[in-house]
Amino acid sequence: MSEATAGSADADESVLERYSSRVLVAGVTLAALALFLVGGWLFPDTILGTFADVLTSRNTLSAALRLSVPIAFAALGGIFSEKSGVINIGLEGLLIISAFTAIYVTYLTGNVWIGFGGGVVASVLLALLFAVVTIEFRADQIIAGLAVWLIALGLAPFASQVIFGGPNTPTVATPGAISVPVLADIPFFGALFSASPSVYLLFLAVGLSWYVFERTTFGRWVRASGENPKALDTAGVSVTRVRYAAVLISGVLSGMGGAALSLDLGQFTGNGPTMVNGKGFIAIVAYLFGNYNPVGAFLSTLLFAGLDAMQTYLQLQGIGVPRQLIRITPFVVVIVVLALVGRTRIPEAAGDHYESGEE
Amino acid sequence: MSVRDRARDVLERLAIASATERILISTAALVLSILVGAVLVLVAGRMTACTANEAVYYFGTGFCYDPVLVFDRLFLGALGDPFSGGWSPGGQFSITLRETTLLLFTGLSVALAFRAGIFNIGTQGQMVVGALATALGVLWVSPLVSGVVGTVLLIPFGILVGAVFGGLYGAIPGLLKAYADANEVITTIMLNFIATGVTLYLVSGVFKDPNSPANQTVPLPEYAQFPAVLFGGRQDFSLIALAFGLVAIGGLYYLLEHTAFGYDVRTSGIQPDAAEYGGVDAAKTIVSSLTLSGALGGIAGAMYVMMVLGTFQTGVPDYGFDGITVSILAGNNPIGVGVAALLFGVLKSGTTVVQFATDVPPQLVGVLRGLIILFVAMPEFFRLIGKRVTDAGEKAVATDGGRPGGESDE
Amino acid sequence: MDTAVHLDGITKRFPGVVANDNVDLAVERGTVHALLGENGAGKTTLMNVLYGLYDPTAGRVLVDGAERSFESPRDAIDAGIGMIHQHFMLVDPMTVTENITLGNEPKKWGGLAVDREAARSAVVDLSERYGFDVDPDARIEDVSVGEQQRVEILKALYRGADVLILDEPTAVLTPQEVEELFEVLEELTAQGKTIIFITHKLGEAMRAADEITVLRDGRNVGTVDAAETTREGLAELMVGREVLLDVDKPPAETGDVVAAASDLVVEDERGVRAVDGVGFEVRAGEVFGIAGVDGNGQSELIEALTGLSTPDGGRIEFLGRDVTDDSRRSRIDDGMAYIPEDRQDRGLVMDFDLVENAILGSQHTAEFGPNGRIDWPHTREHAESIIDEYDVRPPNADSTSESLSGGNQQKFIVGREFERDPELVVAAHPTRGVDVGSIEFIHERLLELRKEGVAVLLVSSKLEEVQGLSDRLAVMYEGEFMDVVDPTATTEEELGLLMAGERPDADSTATAETERDVGASAGGERA
Repeated sequence: MSEATAGSADADESVLERYSSRVLVAGVTLAALALFLVGGWLFPDTILGTFADVLTSRNTLSAALRLSVPIAFAALGGIFSEKSGVINIGLEGLLIISAFTAIYVTYLTGNVWIGFGGGVVASVLLALLFAVVTIEFRADQIIAGLAVWLIALGLAPFASQVIFGGPNTPTVATPGAISVPVLADIPFFGALFSASPSVYLLFLAVGLSWYVFERTTFGRWVRASGENPKALDTAGVSVTRVRYAAVLISGVLSGMGGAALSLDLGQFTGNGPTMVNGKGFIAIVAYLFGNYNPVGAFLSTLLFAGLDAMQTYLQLQGIGVPRQLIRITPFVVVIVVLALVGRTRIPEAAGDHYESGEE
Repeated sequence: MSVRDRARDVLERLAIASATERILISTAALVLSILVGAVLVLVAGRMTACTANEAVYYFGTGFCYDPVLVFDRLFLGALGDPFSGGWSPGGQFSITLRETTLLLFTGLSVALAFRAGIFNIGTQGQMVVGALATALGVLWVSPLVSGVVGTVLLIPFGILVGAVFGGLYGAIPGLLKAYADANEVITTIMLNFIATGVTLYLVSGVFKDPNSPANQTVPLPEYAQFPAVLFGGRQDFSLIALAFGLVAIGGLYYLLEHTAFGYDVRTSGIQPDAAEYGGVDAAKTIVSSLTLSGALGGIAGAMYVMMVLGTFQTGVPDYGFDGITVSILAGNNPIGVGVAALLFGVLKSGTTVVQFATDVPPQLVGVLRGLIILFVAMPEFFRLIGKRVTDAGEKAVATDGGRPGGESDE
Repeated sequence: MDTAVHLDGITKRFPGVVANDNVDLAVERGTVHALLGENGAGKTTLMNVLYGLYDPTAGRVLVDGAERSFESPRDAIDAGIGMIHQHFMLVDPMTVTENITLGNEPKKWGGLAVDREAARSAVVDLSERYGFDVDPDARIEDVSVGEQQRVEILKALYRGADVLILDEPTAVLTPQEVEELFEVLEELTAQGKTIIFITHKLGEAMRAADEITVLRDGRNVGTVDAAETTREGLAELMVGREVLLDVDKPPAETGDVVAAASDLVVEDERGVRAVDGVGFEVRAGEVFGIAGVDGNGQSELIEALTGLSTPDGGRIEFLGRDVTDDSRRSRIDDGMAYIPEDRQDRGLVMDFDLVENAILGSQHTAEFGPNGRIDWPHTREHAESIIDEYDVRPPNADSTSESLSGGNQQKFIVGREFERDPELVVAAHPTRGVDVGSIEFIHERLLELRKEGVAVLLVSSKLEEVQGLSDRLAVMYEGEFMDVVDPTATTEEELGLLMAGERPDADSTATAETERDVGASAGGERA
């Protein structure tokens, strides 16, 4: 079979193998970037030059950050849930429901931040339903996750149709960008300091998530709950509670992502796969590729989002690749990444029900 | 094996307690989803505006939508109003059967993969690919034949093309899972997006019908489409297509229960370690069952093109996702898929009737789809309720010798 | 005397089973108390009651003289009871310190962070106090089984346990590690801790315990002083009749080599060599046994031999042909039968009925699956004949294998594999978890096959079993064969040393269990 790689007797080598595909992808990405930059600098009038322009454009970074927001938030949520042993494939649904609710509440109250909160609440409620069904009633996590996605996929356009008479909502106010004086003027990286509030929230969420996993008792309990729930249970910590908490946190984070997604544009579009359009699934691949590390997940999100941002700008530059094909690049990249990364070490007990006490 | 033995065999298998439980759970899930749907209709009815005359009143509160009317339209409307006289096969009922036919194939596609332990969320994409391939294939060949002969030759040909291309598209996640360990849930979802994107590109470009504003291919000639039998042509339904569907049910049942390949598929699906022990080649089984599953999805696409649209157009409805519901509702059993497809066909066809009669948006069926999956996925919930009901009856006669207040042994 | 734990009239019923029947048990403080009994005698159930995992159906639990009612392990832990389960409750990717402090982490910054320094020093202090050798910063997945066990004990001590329950603690240990464990137990009781030690091994109970309570069929059949009892006495208490350990078998009439392996290397998923250059041959009409402590590469060796995994080096021959790259299916077709170690994962499809299970592995043969179509009526006959001949109960081919007891599941597998008309039978722990009657039956059938000229490869961690049945016996340790010996000319003590990785002639510090008179020591001559 294809997996039969050259025999390596050394244990260290296998550790290397474990990461090699990640290293490979990251390496190829960096090499490609370097090629474009150097090539663009040498031959500014060729297609390489265009690529280099796009890459070094501050707008690309700024767009990549904006596109990262929903994916990265959902990925952080997915990490919490899956690390605790509940595979949450319904992230897409959480994004959809919060994206719609945020707009609706903003429309009702006229306040973007109340709308944002409304989106988070909607997502948490749906996550709660998912938690009850999977933890209490031991539903298959994958199927229940699909159900969450499909419910949201039906419910959001349904509600939009009822309330606004069409799958797309009217436009509401958007939160303006926040610029940090001086820093925002730095070339290229200035994009980091002149962005929508949701981008700053994301930075905060990434840092906090990392802190929770690395430094707090709750983070340890989440890890133990996903790796060996029985160990946690016999240590006197309720696995059920930890899992509930983790799934609800995934609801909060995904809700922030979904709300940010729609509020940054001021509208929810509910046609076909809705404006979320697979971002929840890309988030899953992002955290798998980031090896369940919040920072890793954020960086791999940036990779996917960067691709997306580039395709937008390449279109503007008039590169002769059809729009419809460029649009599918992130999905193709996800498959390629997944095929290369292959087996990731998922938490030992992810996907399993856990019942305390009598076995 | 005589026919009688066979019948006995089937009955024996059906008589297994777990099958009965399955049916009960599916029914309960369906009923519960409809109840939740009714609440949703009421809530939606509060959120929209209407005049006092149009509103209905429950519990002293006015609602713009009437759930009783909604579900009356949904079910009776979908069946073509059999109780109000003037029922004709060409009416709404034929739309229900049309939906049923398509759902049969997508449901079987998902069911086959599920039985092999694979979540094929990609039936939608496989259907889209199969549909476009069928349209292009038939268009390419159709000038060579015509008339009744053309129909007899082109329909099987179209189905074959759909099956082959759907199958190839299904083989991709199969190969990725078998040889690169890539999770099929993610890859098939991604491949759905890719299928939509690529077909949009092709149909808006090279293969676009120059005479149409829509992104679609040149229409198929009349003789390359399913002929309407009994049901009149207006509703794009053909009894022949449904017959193909019934054959597919029988075929898949036979394949799973009576062939060595089916044995391999079922064994890998419920206990991969035991399958490996029994000499089943895991990789081969994954690839072949996903290919076959994709082929069934592709046939659904072929049916959609040759029976419903008569051309390929972008924006293929979510039959693939509905297939997941159908399959889960049917407990992934081919015969159950037949029943579940009819039920879900009623829901889908009924929604349009509902929309005409009540303004309730057709996305309602999308919500019901999700709810049904959710409820069927939690059998424990229904077992608990069932237990509570039976326990209440037993409590009076319980003679536990344990100490007072002793805990039950569970 | 000071009684630390007193169980008074404990009864525990499960639907259809009485696991504990009015059991009394009193354990003195500062002693090691062994709870001895066969598998299924109710030892673990009783301890789970004490640990708060089960509610007793009837009876009282007294700790330090006060009646307690434990809702959960948490309550038991609070009452100073700690339990070390047979399967360790450790989180593999976390460190020793993280595992020990899990659930009781020292905190700082008002609970916002784990105080990692305090946690580490608490672990260091504790292990120094009891003379434990553990690395507080190592990850669990990187340390030995013996060390993992010490981490489990430390975990209980960290939580303030005064009474430690150890469930079959020696099952996964080498004899040396067993000896180290016993030293640890001595140190713990010297410092006033109380140990309850669950085991089914007579010798260990006599070696380590002060008092021994024997459970049989859920009942306490006697508590004895370890110093004043004999092996025979205990064995009788355990099984309730004279034990027949010897198997009667005629000398082997061996024929051609049926299966052979040379320089076989199998790596586990971490890339470590689980099987490291093993070679052997099995001849027609002989039983070739492999003894060893579980986890020394036996499973990996068998998986490679039977085609369930691809070896990373070396060569496997079957019936004179190189089959190293052949699939599992082709090996089955060639006549290789396999009684797998894990019958519920591998050997049977639990949701299938016995008819369907009867062709697991032969679904593609001309007999059962001609032209890819399964002949169900014939399969049913086949299943019924297995049920009949191998006394599978209940005798109903339509029952799912899940509904059968472990012993009956095993008999069905044994029947299916033997009826394949095999050239080679690979039997891995064929009597594990099987009742005494079925054990004898399975042993007889194995010897019948041997008489018919079938080659048998037997792997078992039960020393009496491999020693009694084998014509030649290999001892496996850390992926290698220490030696291949004549089992009739080798003592249990010598085998014990080999299983511990030491040659009998080498200078040894290990004290193997002195369970029987050491007969004439024929040494480890190659057979």
